[in-house]
Amino acid sequence: MNKPEIDWEKLAAIVEKHKGKKWGLIPLLQEVQENFGYIPPESVEHIAEAMHMFPSQVQGVINFYAGFSLEPKGKFVIRVCRGTACHVRGSRSIIRLMKKELNVDEGETTPDYRFTLETAACLGACALAPTMMVNKTYFGKLSPPKVTTTLSEFSKTKTEEKV
Amino acid sequence: METIALTMDGKKISCPSGISILEAADQHGIKIPHLCYHPDLKPFGACRMCLVEEEKTGRLMAACVTPVAPDMVIQTESPRVVTHRRNIARLMIAEHPESCIVCSKGNRCRLRQVAAQLGVGETNLYHLPNFKPLEQANPFIIRDLSKCILCGKCIRADHELVVVGAIDYNLRGFHSRPATVHELGLERSNCTFCGTCVSMCPTGALSTKNSSYVGSPDRESNTICGFCGVGCTLAVGSSNERVTEVNPAHLSESVNGATLCVRGHFAHDFLNSDNRLISPLIRKDADQNEEQWAPVAWEKALDLVAQRLMEIKSENGPQSIAFLGSSKCTNEENYLFQKIARVVIGTNNVDNGGYTSGQFLFNVFDVKTDGGCRINPLSDMEKAEAIFVLGADPNHSVPVISYYLKKAALQGTPIVVVDPRKTELVKVASFWLRPKLQTDLELINALAALLHEKQSYDPVYIDNYTEGFSLFRYSLSSLDLDRACGVTGIDRQCLAEIVDLINGKKIAFVVGHGILQQKYGMHTLGAIFNVSLLTGSLAADGGGIYVLARENNQIGAMDMGTVPHLLPGRQALNDDRVRKQWEKNWNVKLSPDPGLNMVRMIEAAEQGNLKAMYIMGENPLRCLPQPERVQKALAKLDFLVVQDILNSETAQMADVVLAAAAFSEKHGSFTNLEGRIQSFHPAVVPPGNAKSDWEILDLLIAKMNQTKGYETLEKIRMEIRKLVPAYAQLDGQRQGWITQISQKAVFNNQTADGLITFYPLVTTEAHSVDSDYPFSAIVGSLRYHLGSGTRTNASERIQGFDLCGQIEISPEDGAKLEMVDGDSVKVISPFGAVQRTITLKKEISPGEVFVPIAVNSNDAMNLIELTDLADPNSPGWKTVRVKLEKV
Ligand code: SF4
Ligand code: SF4
Ligand code: SF4
Ligand code: FES
Repeated sequence: MNKPEIDWEKLAAIVEKHKGKKWGLIPLLQEVQENFGYIPPESVEHIAEAMHMFPSQVQGVINFYAGFSLEPKGKFVIRVCRGTACHVRGSRSIIRLMKKELNVDEGETTPDYRFTLETAACLGACALAPTMMVNKTYFGKLSPPKVTTTLSEFSKTKTEEKV
Repeated sequence: METIALTMDGKKISCPSGISILEAADQHGIKIPHLCYHPDLKPFGACRMCLVEEEKTGRLMAACVTPVAPDMVIQTESPRVVTHRRNIARLMIAEHPESCIVCSKGNRCRLRQVAAQLGVGETNLYHLPNFKPLEQANPFIIRDLSKCILCGKCIRADHELVVVGAIDYNLRGFHSRPATVHELGLERSNCTFCGTCVSMCPTGALSTKNSSYVGSPDRESNTICGFCGVGCTLAVGSSNERVTEVNPAHLSESVNGATLCVRGHFAHDFLNSDNRLISPLIRKDADQNEEQWAPVAWEKALDLVAQRLMEIKSENGPQSIAFLGSSKCTNEENYLFQKIARVVIGTNNVDNGGYTSGQFLFNVFDVKTDGGCRINPLSDMEKAEAIFVLGADPNHSVPVISYYLKKAALQGTPIVVVDPRKTELVKVASFWLRPKLQTDLELINALAALLHEKQSYDPVYIDNYTEGFSLFRYSLSSLDLDRACGVTGIDRQCLAEIVDLINGKKIAFVVGHGILQQKYGMHTLGAIFNVSLLTGSLAADGGGIYVLARENNQIGAMDMGTVPHLLPGRQALNDDRVRKQWEKNWNVKLSPDPGLNMVRMIEAAEQGNLKAMYIMGENPLRCLPQPERVQKALAKLDFLVVQDILNSETAQMADVVLAAAAFSEKHGSFTNLEGRIQSFHPAVVPPGNAKSDWEILDLLIAKMNQTKGYETLEKIRMEIRKLVPAYAQLDGQRQGWITQISQKAVFNNQTADGLITFYPLVTTEAHSVDSDYPFSAIVGSLRYHLGSGTRTNASERIQGFDLCGQIEISPEDGAKLEMVDGDSVKVISPFGAVQRTITLKKEISPGEVFVPIAVNSNDAMNLIELTDLADPNSPGWKTVRVKLEKV
């Protein structure tokens, strides 16, 4: 898998849909983020013009919210919880293992754009500690073997539709 | 407005409701420390330094964002408040880098001042400087954001005052900082280097880049910017009689408030250029084989000038001498200058550099309105209900006007841009009309015809203030709209939408050099004038006609009579009654011969009819078309005097060079494009032996007349005030205005009979296309240079910016000619050529080429023919047919 190709026509259509609407920037950015996995930096000027804003303002909004990203993320965004409960139950070693397995640091994406590794202050599922999320799915009571099998599951193509 | 009463620091005070506690305190002389507050910006409440305490509730609140309320009891200095302020200052300083001691902001740093006031020295906190890389890749601004306290002033100034949007907050928490889009250097963003943010920044996070350490200035004095016709007020900082820093003066009711542009803020380092003239010089005989120039005493230089001019006058007559005055010199100087020409020598051969930007065309309004259109305050622009911007790119030519326009657009005023290029204003405009080149006249006529057809004109206004409407409407109704749409390339539907948009609205017009310098410029101004009458806009609130003046005192030079056809006060020389009056005023016989304008002077020199020329503060070798021709013409003169501040191309040809003082080194007054007369005082002394132009001229008058001169500036002003009623307010006060003298009813409701007539409806021939020269080049300016760039090129900073004046063509033409960005191209016109690199821009229409002026010794002038700009049938200087060759 390579850096995702951007369907510029689709992006333009999304921008067109929200163009000039009051309070339209956040919904627009959400839709772009959802469709492309990130907000292509090249589109910032275009979005700004459509929303009658300065490009610097649009960038400021994107970088303010953790939900938006200017860099392409992996197909699967893994968020490992670092909350107190998870910490006590060994989330540190989970993260360490994750880094080794994927060969990326926190916040980075694998070169094949399959995985992005992130951490979260708390995923709110302390009962399942240590926990992580892959896109929108929770995985609890993690142990090193479980992490390895989950990762290998997601490495296979057939599971791509599942999540 | 409602007033409310409250108690502050034990004093009972009253103030208007709706203002903040901080403003109320300020009105009553109570100083509350603040870092993020600025009177011109929306309150923000970022720094919390302005905390005050409400005694009744015990609440602490930020004074800059909290509105006053009745019966508040405010303590601005209670121990609790002071403790909190101190802690905030400690935290800020703990985050500050140690380079504070050598910071160029020095004692002007607001953070240092506030900390000192609060007695914060050692913070006793863990020092945790927030290092960010130093950015200084451009020659204007250094960004050292490790010193940023996130007050947001720069961002708000950039968004609210200059409306550029180059920066905004980016990232969160510890990483948060003002950033450009994609975090690129300012030089790669859309920053215009206006420097407004730099002057606002309370700390050393933003500072002006200097080639060497200058430290805090010893002295600060206010003056007026010497570059463009806006006339911004400057606060000039100087050390050892050198200008080291420029900031906006931020005086009440000034045209620029807290803003400036890149030229005003950063290009004034030209004042310290090595190329300044510091002594009068006399050319030595060629055979002496040593230094070509000898510095001489003033006495000797002026004796020579007086003697030679008098000799030439008696040998060849007064018409063999011409005087080229300056749109950059003061009113007083221009008055003296034309007086020397007309009275001492006896010729009307007197003009100024404003000629090149179409000043002759102002006549259209003067004749129609009896001089009524000369006062157009920019502050009225916010009252306009719609704004037309025609052939003007104020973002570059007169940046402060673009701030007014963009602010109006933000407030919802519809803007219609008429321009062949997609200028930056188009982004905020409601409509952008892109007529084919030189068809603006047809476009505006068509608009007038459609306004008439749809009955979208103002019948009451027309009835009250104009005459001849029945005839005019007849010509409007017989105008062939379909033809006009065909000629201009603008469809009727679009015009109809614009008519709907402006229906019933008062319109302001901003007219630039795209109109003033074009072939049909005069008729086009006339057509604009007609639309302003039809819509009832002329002289109405918000209905100004802002004609852009390129040079700082272009208006004043014309008003003082430094133009061939007008005596001081813009009174027509060919009007016998006027001339008689001035003969009486000056007690002399005046020549009725119409004098030569700037181009005719060169032609006369070329033909050998001119023997001597006196040039003050102009550089025709650089600003006129076909510089080689100009050089040959000047070389034919028997005697050439050049009085200037810089050793310009023209000065190098002179027999006598007189070293003059720049605006920042003298007393005087300028009249800006609004009609505002601004007087100023020197900030520093002139370099070396240089003298103010008025002193030089006064000494010369005394020599030639063998009498005493005026000796003081006030005496000159007195004479102007007495003889030129429009300049009754030239009294040395910081600012005054041109006096309204028009007798037309619309300006002066007392006279019911002064009715205004419409400008005749003129249509043009379709112009033929020359297949040898398939492109049209548009010559225009960039914000980094003024005019032909004599002064801006002497600025180290502007030089350091490395502008190469890339030729711009459309991507379509690029593809056709197989040219890509960076290719070298030769632009060839029938008159000359320039060679530069090319860039493809979608802002340019196919078939058109944009050639920036003022760079490379202003070689763009090679392309244009040296012909009369004032003649309505001339080809104009704005556009020229060219072909392109890849090199
Ligand atoms: S750079 Fe200066 S003006 Fe801008 S936020 Fe920082 S301290 Fe304030
Ligand atoms: S210099 Fe002017 S344009 Fe550039 S960031 Fe500062 S305020 Fe904005
Ligand atoms: S060049 Fe014009 S706009 Fe710029 S600072 Fe000077 S007067 Fe103001
Ligand atoms: S001045 Fe009031 S919060 Fe900064």
